[in-house]
Amino acid sequence: MPSELSAPPVFRRAVVALSGHPNGQRLIRLVAELAKPYKAELIGVHVVEIDWSMPLDMDLAGRSDEIQQVLDVAEGTAEAAGVQLESVLLQARDVGAALVDEAVEREADLLVVGLAYRTKFGGDFAIGKTIPYILKNAPCAVWVVREPIPEETS
Amino acid sequence: MFVLVIGGGKVGYYLTKELIGSGHEVVLMEKDKDRANQIADEIGSVVISHDGCEGKYLAEAGANRADIVAAVTGDDEDNLVICQMAKHHFDVPRTIARVNNPKNESLFKHLGVDELISPTRMILGSIEQDIPVHELLHLGALGEGELELIEAHLQVGSPAIGKAPRDLSMPEGCSLFAVIRDGIATPLRPDTVLAEGDKVIAIGKAECGPKLHEQLIGDLEAARAG
Repeated sequence: MPSELSAPPVFRRAVVALSGHPNGQRLIRLVAELAKPYKAELIGVHVVEIDWSMPLDMDLAGRSDEIQQVLDVAEGTAEAAGVQLESVLLQARDVGAALVDEAVEREADLLVVGLAYRTKFGGDFAIGKTIPYILKNAPCAVWVVREPIPEETS
Repeated sequence: MFVLVIGGGKVGYYLTKELIGSGHEVVLMEKDKDRANQIADEIGSVVISHDGCEGKYLAEAGANRADIVAAVTGDDEDNLVICQMAKHHFDVPRTIARVNNPKNESLFKHLGVDELISPTRMILGSIEQDIPVHELLHLGALGEGELELIEAHLQVGSPAIGKAPRDLSMPEGCSLFAVIRDGIATPLRPDTVLAEGDKVIAIGKAECGPKLHEQLIGDLEAARAG
């Protein structure tokens, strides 16, 4: 679509929060589709929150297969969509602050986060503290992708 | 160094800010949610909005690995509880408490708080430096808080006037080390003869106070009456 490509890109470099949630793959596919025509850069960031009772440099995340899988799935999903995604694993005290810091450090012009929304039991909407923090502090554009999580099996 | 600061008032706020600026790892606990959010907005995600008097929240804040716990709330009772829990439940090597009421100092020491900071005492000391007093002036605490720096202003009636330090019977664990005469501080030698108006600087344990008072200040009222 040449007419669309002549327009400035929606973003050049996006930090995508990898939550490990089932919605994650859809989120990556969505961002990858938007990134592809403009060869925009994608950085997938998975943050492992370490509580204050443990030192921040304790290697918890590196030892977990589950965490490694989150990164591998993200890379694989982006690759399948024809886009390269650089995956980053961070240990931090606060997820929101870590994502914003990464966006600042990488000079990203977009930060994408998913918001899981439970549909069963009427939908127990809760936005948590990470998204408000990001909306308040991110220096770039922020997209919050809200989708229902898959139905729970009873 | 990992420092846990309890109390997000002015003292806690600036203390946290300075410590972060010096490259230390710091957590600030403030029970008032609005105040905690306000501080977090200014200095980042190092604020936990919980009551530091509760053990479970101290644990959440990482008291188990803290090098120092500084309890700087405006409430002496809270500061004492925090330091005691830090010391006895979490084996924190160094506890520092702000003591607002100087009368609580001995209780804090007795209950094992490592270091006491008393703004009231400091201001009092500063005021007393400028007015004639007939008491020993506590200039500050040293070491782990068990030693005190004390000043004695020798006035008419002082038994130390005309005597040298070697002629005085100093309590054990206390030593005189400097004299301020006409605004000039000089080391106090064993043969320095003390004179009226001298300010003698001593260092010693708090319990040396009465004996030091007797030797340097004396009973001024009795001397005047006589």
